[in-house]
Order: sequence, then C-alpha cells, then structure tokens
Amino acid sequence: MDSLFGLSMNLIMYVLLGLLALSLAVSLIVLFRDRIIFMIGLRNIPRRVSQTVLIIVGLMLSTVIITAAFTTGDTVDYSITKEVYDLLGHSDVVLDGQTAGVKELPGQPPVQPSGDDAGGHSVSAGQYNAFLAAADAAHLPDVDGYTGIIFAPVPAFNTTTNLSEPDVILTGVDESRMQALPDILDDDTGAVLNLADLGENEVYMNRSAADKLDATAGETVNTYIAGKQHTLTIKAIVKTNALSGAHSAQNKKGMVASLSTVQNLLGFERLDNILISVTGGDRPTLDTVDSVKTEVQTLLIHHGLALEVSDTKADSVHDAEKIGNVFATFFLLLGLFSIGAGMLLIVMSFVMLAAERKTEMGMARAIGAKRRHLVEMFIAEGTGYDLMSAMVGVLLGVAVAFALATAASALFSSFGLQFVPHATLRTLVISYSLGVVLTFLTVLFSSWQISNLNIVRAIRDTPDPPGKRMGWRGLTFWILALLFGALNFWLGLSSGLAFPFAFGFSLCGMAIVVLATHFGAPPRPAFTTMSIFLLVFWGLAAGDRLNSIFGHLDGGPEMFFLSGVAMVTACTFAIIYNSDIFLGIVERVGGLFSSLLPALRTAIAYPMANRFRTGMTLAMISLVVFALTMMSAMNLNYDKLFAADESRGGWDVQVVENPNNPIPAIQQALQEKNSPVAGNIAREGTIELAGLDVSASEVSQDGVDWSDYPVHGLSDGFLEAGTVPLDKIANGYNTQQDVWLALKNEPDTAVTDGFTIQSGGFGGDQITIEGIPSDISEKKYDAPKVTVRDAVSGKTREVRIIGVIAFGASNNFQGIGMGARSFEETFGPPVASIHFLTLNDPSHSQDVAKEIESTLVVTGVQADSLEQIAEENNALSRNFLYLMQAFMGLGLVVGIAAIGVISFRTVVERRQQIGMLRAIGYKRSTVALSFLMESSFVTVLGVLSGMGLGLWLAYFLVTSSDFPAQNATFHVPWLQLAFFAVLTIVASLAMTWIPARQAASVPTAEALRYE
Amino acid sequence: MSAVITPEGHMQNTPANTRGPIIEAIDVVKTYDTGKVKVNALRGVNLSIEPGEMVAIMGPSGCGKTTLLNCLSGLDVIDAGAIHVEGVDLSKLSDDKRTEHRAKRMGFVFQFYNLLPVLSAVENVELPLLVSGVKSKEARRKSLEALQVVHLDHWATHKPAELSGGQRQRVTIARALVNDPAIVWGDEPTGDLDSQNAGEIMDLLQQLNREKGQTFVLVTHDHGIAARTQRIIRMQDGQIIADERVEPAGTASAQVP
Repeated sequence: MDSLFGLSMNLIMYVLLGLLALSLAVSLIVLFRDRIIFMIGLRNIPRRVSQTVLIIVGLMLSTVIITAAFTTGDTVDYSITKEVYDLLGHSDVVLDGQTAGVKELPGQPPVQPSGDDAGGHSVSAGQYNAFLAAADAAHLPDVDGYTGIIFAPVPAFNTTTNLSEPDVILTGVDESRMQALPDILDDDTGAVLNLADLGENEVYMNRSAADKLDATAGETVNTYIAGKQHTLTIKAIVKTNALSGAHSAQNKKGMVASLSTVQNLLGFERLDNILISVTGGDRPTLDTVDSVKTEVQTLLIHHGLALEVSDTKADSVHDAEKIGNVFATFFLLLGLFSIGAGMLLIVMSFVMLAAERKTEMGMARAIGAKRRHLVEMFIAEGTGYDLMSAMVGVLLGVAVAFALATAASALFSSFGLQFVPHATLRTLVISYSLGVVLTFLTVLFSSWQISNLNIVRAIRDTPDPPGKRMGWRGLTFWILALLFGALNFWLGLSSGLAFPFAFGFSLCGMAIVVLATHFGAPPRPAFTTMSIFLLVFWGLAAGDRLNSIFGHLDGGPEMFFLSGVAMVTACTFAIIYNSDIFLGIVERVGGLFSSLLPALRTAIAYPMANRFRTGMTLAMISLVVFALTMMSAMNLNYDKLFAADESRGGWDVQVVENPNNPIPAIQQALQEKNSPVAGNIAREGTIELAGLDVSASEVSQDGVDWSDYPVHGLSDGFLEAGTVPLDKIANGYNTQQDVWLALKNEPDTAVTDGFTIQSGGFGGDQITIEGIPSDISEKKYDAPKVTVRDAVSGKTREVRIIGVIAFGASNNFQGIGMGARSFEETFGPPVASIHFLTLNDPSHSQDVAKEIESTLVVTGVQADSLEQIAEENNALSRNFLYLMQAFMGLGLVVGIAAIGVISFRTVVERRQQIGMLRAIGYKRSTVALSFLMESSFVTVLGVLSGMGLGLWLAYFLVTSSDFPAQNATFHVPWLQLAFFAVLTIVASLAMTWIPARQAASVPTAEALRYE
Repeated sequence: MSAVITPEGHMQNTPANTRGPIIEAIDVVKTYDTGKVKVNALRGVNLSIEPGEMVAIMGPSGCGKTTLLNCLSGLDVIDAGAIHVEGVDLSKLSDDKRTEHRAKRMGFVFQFYNLLPVLSAVENVELPLLVSGVKSKEARRKSLEALQVVHLDHWATHKPAELSGGQRQRVTIARALVNDPAIVWGDEPTGDLDSQNAGEIMDLLQQLNREKGQTFVLVTHDHGIAARTQRIIRMQDGQIIADERVEPAGTASAQVP
C-alpha cells in the first residue's frame, strides 16, 4: 500500500511521527515544569487495577481497528502481488494481436491485420515470426528473451482415476525460446524442465489440474478437440503458473506441451500471446519494464505489426496495490463507526475518572492548584495509558487482520483467492502513531472539560445544579458551529456535494436547538423536535426524495458514516429527553412481575438520571449496531434482488460450450446421445461470445474513448423467447417483446445490462452509457447510440440501445446484446457460445445440469443451474458481509467495555446507597439483579435504537428510485438482527457480572459508614 | 396484628406486643480484623429493650454505639453471643431471611438520609414496600400516606436534591415508617441538621412513638436529643457502662435494673 486517500503513505507516516513527537513533547514539558503534578497523574494509574485494565482496553480499541484496517490493506496488496509474481514468473510483458489502437507511421509498412482470429487466438504465425526476427535484430538491451504461447480450454479425462474436468487449459509454448523464461518447474524438486524433452503426445500437467484429476506422472488423460479424442501421457507434474496453463485466479488447471504439439492438436498455427522476459529476474524494476514497453511499441510500429502490449506484470502489481488501497480504505471507513465509538469511550472514561476524583481535585484547587495543573495531571495519566494501550492495540490489530485474512482464505478458497497475512513496518508505525495521537487529542479535550469545576461543590461532592446555563465559551462555540454548519450547507448546495450539505444541515439543526434552549426554550420539546426532524431529513435524503427541493447531490460511502453519526446523535437526544416515557412503560411491565419491580426501578432510574453516561454508552452501542444493521439489511435486499426469479430471465440452465468443441444446439446433441434430459427442454436460446475474455470487444459512445466490455450475439431462439426482463424500453417500442423482436429484425439495435446505466456502480468491468436515466421510475427514454468494435479486426458498428435489462437479471446477462446476424457481421463467427435452456420441470435444474455435463463430457461443456449460480453468488457476498461484520463487531467491544467501565465505577459510587438498599430489605440477589438489569437496559436501548435507525435508513434506500428495482419489497434480516441483539446483550451481561457480584457482596454496615 | 419471623425463619402474624423484651443482646462480641490490627468493637454487651421504648445509645466516638446498632438490627453479624429480636435469634437466620426481617419489621433513619438521588420522595418511600412484595398501587397509596404523616405530601414528586436537609430527613422517616415496623433504628438521625430542624424531627419521632407504640433505638452524641428519649444507654470501649431511665422533665433519672 503506497497511498491512502490520494496521500503518499510515507508522507502520512512522517506527519504522524511529527504529531507523535509533539504529543510526547507536551507530556515531557509537563514533566519538567510540574514534576509533582506529573507524578500524581502517573500514580493514579495503579490505584484501581481492574479500572485501569478497562481504560487501557477502551483506549486501545481505536488503535486495534486502525491497525487492522491498514494491515488488511497490506495483506491484500501482498497476497495479490505474490499471486501475480507466482503466476507470471519471468513473463513481464505480454503482446497480443489487435488492430484497433495500433498506430501507423507515415512511410512505414501498413499495419498487417491479424486476420481471422480463429477462435480468439489473435497472433498469426506470420506475425510471430516477423516479431521474433525484428526483436532479435533490434537486440533490445533490457530484454532477456521472447516466446510464443497458445492456450485452449479442453475437456480432460483421467483414464486411471476416471475423473474428468471440462476446462483444463492446454498450453503450448515455443520450446526453442524458453531459455529466458525458465518457468516450467518440477512440482516436487523445483527443477527447471524442458519442453523439448517431451515425446509425442506427452505433456506436463500442473499441480492444480493434477489435484482435480487425482493424476500422477505416467498416467494418461483423454482430451477431446473438435470431437476427436487424443490421448496424452503425463510426463511430470509441474508447478502451477501461467506457462503451465494457469489462465486466471478462478481456473488454474492446465497442462503444457511444446507449441507445435498443441498447434497440431488444435489444427492451426496461430498463437495467443508473445511473452517478453525483462532483465532483472522475476521482479524487474518498474522503470525497466516501462522502457521495454516503449521500445517494443516502437518496434511494432516500425515493422507494421498489428500487435500491442496488452498487459505487463507491473500493471498487475500496480492493480494489486490499488486493490490493497481499496480494501484498507473500505475497512477504515467501516471502522470509523468503531473508532468514533472508541473516542466516545475515552471521553467517558476520563469524565468518570474525574467524577471519582472530584473531591481530591476540589481540594487540590482549594490549596492553590490551578486549572492548568488539573489538565496536566490528566495529561500525565492519559499519556501513560495512551502509550501502553497503543502498543497493545497495534499488536492486537495485527492479530485481528491476520485472523481476518485466514478467515477470508477459508471463505473464498473456492474462488481461488488466498490471503497471506502480511504487515509492513510502515503500517505499524502509522497505526501506532495515529492511535497515540488520536487518543492524546481526546484525552487533552476531556482533561480540559473536566478540569472546569466548582471548588466548593467538588469538595462537598455535591452535584452541579440542574439547568446550569452554558458560559460564554460554550455560547461562542455553538454560534460558530451554527455558522460553520450554514457554510457547509451552502457549499454542498452550490457544489452539488451531499456530504457538506447534509453535515451542514445536521450541524445547524443541533446548534439551533442548543442555542434555543440556552435562551429559554424548553429542552424536551426542542430536542425531541430536532431529533425527529433530523431523522426524517436523513431518511428522505438517503432515498433521494429531496431532489425536487435541493437538486441531485453526489455522495459516496462517507455518507454512510455521516448518516450514522447524525441519526444516532439525534435519536440519543430523543431517548434521553423522553426517558420518563420509557420509565413509565418499563414500570408498567415490571408491575406485572412485582418481585422484579424493586430491582427494575433502580435499574432504570439510575441510567435515566445520568444522561451524560447513558447517552454516551447508548450512542456507542447504537452507532455500531446501526452500521451492522444497515449492512445486513442492504445485503439481504440485494441478495433478494439477484436471487429473484427474474434474475434467471426465464431460463433454468446455462451451458457454456468449449470453444474447441462447439455445439450448435444442446437439445439436439442430447437427443443424439439418447439422454432423457432432452425431453425436459422446453426452449433453447444462445448467446454468442466475441471472445473468451472481456478484451475481445470494445464499446464507445463518442468513437474516441473505447472501453473493453462484453458484446454478445443473441440467437433467434433467445430473442423469440423474450423472457429476460427489461427495466426500461426506448421510445418507439411498447413492450418487452417488441424490443427483443426488434433485435432480431432491426440490424442496428441492441440492449444493455442494468449496470451500464449506474454511474460509478458495481466496480470491475464497468462502463456508463449516457442518455439513459438511472432513476428506476423512469421507464422510457430516447435510445442513445453506442459503437461496438471487434478488438481484433477493428470492425465497428453503431447500434441504438433500445432496452435495458433488469438490474436483478444483469449478473447473468451482462453486456451489450445484439441480434446474432448483426453480431456476426461485426465480430465474425462466435469464439464460443453460452446456451440457455428452459425446462419443462425446472425443479431439478441442478440434476439436469449434471446430466448434461455427464452426457456431453467429451465436448467439455460446463452446465450450471441458474438458481444455483444465484445462490453461489449470494453465498460469496454473504461471506464477504460476514467478514465485514466481524470487523465492525470490534466496535461492539467498545460499547461493552463502556458498560463495564460504568458498572465498575457505579459499585464504588453507590456503595453507601447499596448499603441503604440492603438495610431496607434489598437482598443480595436483588442488588445484583438491579445492576444486571441496568446494564441490560442501556444495552437494549442502544441495540433497539441502532437497529431502528439502520432499518429506517435501509427502508428509505430500498424503496427509493435509486434502488435498482421498482416497488421493491423491503426485507428485514430478522435472524441476523436477533443474533446481534443476543450477542450484545449477553456480552454486556457478562461484563456486568463481576461488578454486580461486587455490589451484592458490599458489607451493609461498612457501606453505610462510607462517605 | 403484625408479622414476626419464627425461630425457623418463617413469617408469622402475632400480636404487636409480644411477651418479654423486643430486643435482647446476650454477651455480644464483635471484632473488626483489618489484617494488621484487631479492634474489639463490642466486648460482651448485654442489653434488653422492651416493646414501645424509645432508647438512646450514647458515647464518645469509636465506643461501639453504631456497631451495636448495626448488630442489633442485623445489618452486621456478631462474632459471639446472641441477639434476639422479637424472639428470633438473628444469628441463626440466613442473610436473605435477615434481610426479609428487616424489610418487614424494621425501619432505618440515617444521619446522611441515604435517599436514592435518582428517585422522587414518594418513590424512595415506597421502596421497602415494593421489596416486601406489596403491589405497586398499594405501595404508592401507603407511601403518600406516610409522606402526609411527615407533612411532605406536597413534595412527593420532588427528588432529594430539591429538598432541604430537614425535608430529606422527614422523607427518610416516612420511608422508615411506611412498613409499620416494630422497631425503628436511627443512627444520628439529627446529626446533619440544625437545632430547629433537629427539634422538629425529634418531635415527630416522639409523636410516632407515642401514637404507634413502635420501639425507637437512636444512636446519638447529642445530649439534648438523648434527653428526649425514655432511656439512655452509655457506652465506652465496646461496653455498656450505664443504662439510665430518663424521667420526664423535672424528675431525676434512674438506673435500669
């Protein structure tokens, strides 16, 4: 990870180290200037060991979360980078054959098109030989060598174990050019193997394929190409990498032979890529790779070769870093809730420390200590806690990140993703410094607040009088807050940015109420009105329902955090200022169980009387539960969207054919094999592919900027079925059926998937087509035009987008879809096809898919139930969600710790009152029960508040026109919510158990003497 | 009729004025062990108090008067000897049974009021009723009546912080009496009050003692307060050194046999 939020990580580290030094310098100044005061502060640390432990736990939580987020970024970056290096070996730069985008120079030979791309193998033998001749003559100084490679997915059947795989990548490498790319390595010994040592029909099989086929050296596999069987002998098992057939993270199964052997098997002399090895081993420098890239491009232009640099290892490594940054940023954003809760806990811990030492502080002030001395005392104590807790926090944060990485590897293993735990020294330094500085600033703020005391009241330990008006400092602060809020509001409106707009609006609301109460407005109606107003505002703003008033405002994931903080603050005020209502309700319920009533009364009265503590604890728990609820609710509603029947578009099974064994019609092929499944097929349609990966086709709206994006041909059967749902239909067409039939009959029409109209939507291979409204409620539009291009031949075609596939179905039918005839006129014969089947009895679609694979095993088809695909996709997103929630669950630890801090403190605070309760008849069990109920009451309020707010916001989002399904039913993740609630309440009960027991065993007579 | 706990620990209704002393201490010993130092707080105390008596326990600081009150009321346990309250040996009761006994048969008035600051006056008063299992509506009615007795019915919904010292102590008295206890214990009940408020509180306690026939045991170091009781027990170094009957104003006091 080299940058965060656009800032260099080195710069961030240096700035934080500077701030850390400044924080320590402040503490040192206190030490040297007021040594006694400093020592008094430090000596407070071991006074109450259990309390000190809780404070350190509370203080370190922010550091844990920060460290875990950064280390996760490191882990993702490192893991992907390692995967890139492991897979690519010495292949540093990749060339493939493409006409599009290759420049021609005046006076130079014209670019030679690669011609028929023969199933996606885009480099012709002539191009390969011409390039080798040119490159050899050029003697590029930073290049070790070049070799050509071809790969093709083929079905493979192990004749010994009877295991088969439909898509093992048969790879051919030019063995005469492999000196510079020694990447065919024996799996046991690591020794470099030579392809020239392979006999006729011999291959090396990579470890991934060998595992799947349970194959060992000496065994034979049958493979089928163009319907013909070939028997290949496995000479050795080699390591899995690009040269041995690892095609992608999802499919690494491969076997490799010499280029000529594979070309003979496939029946043509073409290649897929030319690999270039740059000097510097398998990790050349970025500068060297860049310079080679430039030299090779010049070489290509000078020789008129229609080849281009399609990828470099450096690009992949750079992508890995970017993904690492995305993860770290994402985790940091999610962690903000917990970090915020952690900071509240720090403030509360110090306020409670101050309450405990109120008399001492009053005495100190009485005998001459200034307010500054009290601040210094807390700074000394806080620094002691801070340095310790940040150190522990960093270690625990790394442990958390490593645990997450291990869990992620287990969860995503079926997708070929492996996460190797990794942390850099820079990350640790940044995390530690940030943890110390954040905590120090919070301690400084808290110390300043709590040092402001009335000496007499402090000495007598009497409470501050109710209705104390704020001083001029407070008044100035809130007036400035109002102005700052108004400025942000205006900035947001004028720039169209949601964050300053909503932040400013919320801040103004808060400031107005605080000022109004200062000038005499009754607090309860004022705060309640403000809270309700803000909750409604956030609901409407989240659902874009304020657009008609304020226009459209752009917002990102930061709005999630802001909405949480604003809504939780508003709701907390509403609860605290209406606590008597809760008291009344709970007492009525408690009245039904008279034996509980005494414990219940004190359990509720205390937290409701101490608004600050209760509000802070409630907010901490509520904030984290809000985030967890929102994520669960949104995930469930998206899951439902993609798992809905419409996601299958009226089809039940998809069959992906092997490009080397094309099948014109699945039903016919099954009938020929007398498969009983053939009779179950009601309908068949086909999507024709331009290539095996996304780079085979390109899309542009202006004819200048081209983006790789899938373009398909849709067979007549597919179009006549017309079952894939459309969200939008262009003007001029009335029904979905009209659109699908138009694709068949009007050559220059197409449909697009729902992702392409969502700006900044779902990552990955994403384009945005302008001119189609993203608002789900707008069903009609004027068809915009886009140009599609064959990336190999460079042929283009302008098409009108006359329909948009429903968002829920877009996963299965992603891309620009054209009629098959128009498609083939532009892209030529399809490289491969995906067949879609509608079954008469769809209830056993998984069994049907298995039967198809089994019947057509020699063709290498892959058949899947669309229902099962949807479930697997949902499982992936669910697993990812669980990981996120586990991370965010750290914030709950903050809330639970707050409960613990309060409980331990209240046993000390209420010692005499406990004695009195025992004297008038409270049994030990009643006292303990009261404590347990008190913590549960605050926890339950926090959980209910967080869940209510999370569901409130999620409801507005799901039912808004921004959600990609109209009239969507809002689904509530009850099971998960119940889990969060039980977990939180049980944890808080466990945390209160010890203090509750302490309270119950307070000796009555001694407690009554206690002053 | 009122309830007492049998020696087996069961609640039983009995006539309020049972035979013999309501409180009896026999050779009571209580020692505090702080680890380094052992303090003999009570050294073989013998005492007998009759039902309906108003007794003051006096003595210098550290003489053991509060310890004696705590032990007699079951707030603290003794190391040796026996304490019988309404015929029940407290040392034979479990902690829960002792607590139940206190809730139903005793009331407490403390120097520092010991009201729960988060509850209103009436809520404080009704706590002993709720803990004794009285239904909440009934508890509220009785509590308001108790506050009326101490002339604070108009302050029922106020929290302790909104009341004066004298008012707070009246709330404490209402709380002590709301259960109609047999015995009311007071540990320096006027210690935190000025002389006028202290006088008013004593007037109230005397009136209740007269009207309801309840037994009052007050720990005090104030001779004026002690003089308004019927009997003064003087302590020193953990022992009773004098036990005098207070005669009405103008007559000499006499030793209790």
